[in-house]
Amino acid sequence: MSAKWYLGTGAQNDVVISTSIHLARNIKRFPFPASLSMQDKLKVNSVIKNATEDIKDYSFNYYEMKTLSQAEVVSLAERHLVSPEFASSRDGRALLLTEDEAVSVMLNEEDHIRLQVMYAGFALDEAYRTADRIDSQLSEKLQFAFDERLGYLTQDPTALGTGMKASVVLHLPALVTSSQITKLITTVSKLGLSLRGSYGEGAAAKGDLFRLSNTITLGISEKAAIENLKSIALQIAAQERVAREEIFKAPVTEDRIFRAYGVLKYARMIDTNEFMELISLVRLGAVKGIINMDCAQIEALMIHMQPATISLSVDRPLDRIERDKLRAQLVRQNLA
Amino acid sequence: MLCQHCNKNEANMHMKRIINGRAAEVHLCSDCARSLGYGEAFSGFGLGFSDFLSDFLLKGEHSSNTVRCPFCNKSFEEIAKDGKMGCAECYTAFYDKLLPSIQRIHGKSTHMGKKPAGANNASNRLENLKAQLEEAVRQQDFESAVKIRDEINSILMAGGENQ
Repeated sequence: MSAKWYLGTGAQNDVVISTSIHLARNIKRFPFPASLSMQDKLKVNSVIKNATEDIKDYSFNYYEMKTLSQAEVVSLAERHLVSPEFASSRDGRALLLTEDEAVSVMLNEEDHIRLQVMYAGFALDEAYRTADRIDSQLSEKLQFAFDERLGYLTQDPTALGTGMKASVVLHLPALVTSSQITKLITTVSKLGLSLRGSYGEGAAAKGDLFRLSNTITLGISEKAAIENLKSIALQIAAQERVAREEIFKAPVTEDRIFRAYGVLKYARMIDTNEFMELISLVRLGAVKGIINMDCAQIEALMIHMQPATISLSVDRPLDRIERDKLRAQLVRQNLA
Repeated sequence: MLCQHCNKNEANMHMKRIINGRAAEVHLCSDCARSLGYGEAFSGFGLGFSDFLSDFLLKGEHSSNTVRCPFCNKSFEEIAKDGKMGCAECYTAFYDKLLPSIQRIHGKSTHMGKKPAGANNASNRLENLKAQLEEAVRQQDFESAVKIRDEINSILMAGGENQ
């Protein structure tokens, strides 16, 4: 099995955790997924699956969603390979996934095709190049729903145009601690971008992880949208670094980091929320060089310790207490 | 994320709005959303596009004879209700009605950026073939007409089928 994409380290890694590009596409001769019969959904799945077979340099595993267990599907969502919406209903949906999980294609989500490319660190250009290459090859096989005026046609008109959503996941513990984040969210929204919690949509951002994405897709080219996102992401990263310098001036910050490390290293039970809160502090310490841990290892832990993913590491269903015990045990092993 | 209005409660209402020609996101808790008059937008309709469309619907459009998309049979009222287009053809069928809402969401209404490799050529080729077909029929050259028709059908099938 090849190494997963998130085990790599990328540029701007102190703040930028990962990059992703999503492209929404539909096949012209079929109605959009919400208006599609089950029979046609299965047909759409097979048509797209066949079209991906000849794509150069990428080979996909194909999964019918209804053949997967609930825990497996939720785990896919926890690893950001599918959307929570996709995980919520499995009938007629399918997933194409490369071995390293860097490229995934959701079939019959909001659109027939939701192509996603993920990279570690700050790699918008690289991620777009990959998505673009796969998309172009698909468009030679499939006739996409496209209109000269409105661009790629999507089930939800908010994605019309490029059908592209580019995002970066940012680790912003210092901006959260210094209460600058709410203001930042408002500012960013005025620039045609959105900044929101990466885990737990709408809720408090677990692990101080935020996703910055473009919201406008019509009347702006892919390149311009990416350049815009890039420049805002770099500015936020710079602000986070300044805020980090500032909070490290108070001795309590270092104390909080080592206490977090201590709890993670010795706790016998730990739930997801507490784990995310503490690992965020540990990551801050690791980047600062006061804790000897590799960022890629921390990112992998953040993914592997999510509830459904952790349940999959053993062959039977776990109740909450068992899961919290197992999480604490796995974390201890990782920190040893 | 805290509510932008009271700065106390957790925001659980998130909206995209165009303010002064720019897209802005609004994050509110349910109490503030209600007191600011956003409450009604959340009952019945889903969030997002239907908000824009339902505004538009309220401004008029009480047609007694419902117009439906010729391809998927979805009506504009149904689209306004769930915020979901039925198929690509709906965009052509309801273009004029949709345009103001699309403009309000994106601030613009003309695509810039990538075009699919096949689509453009295929649709041009299709147009040419259709013209040729009409010409052949007019000249009563049915042998050619059948060939052209088969070619048109094969392009339409290639809209996805490649088994």
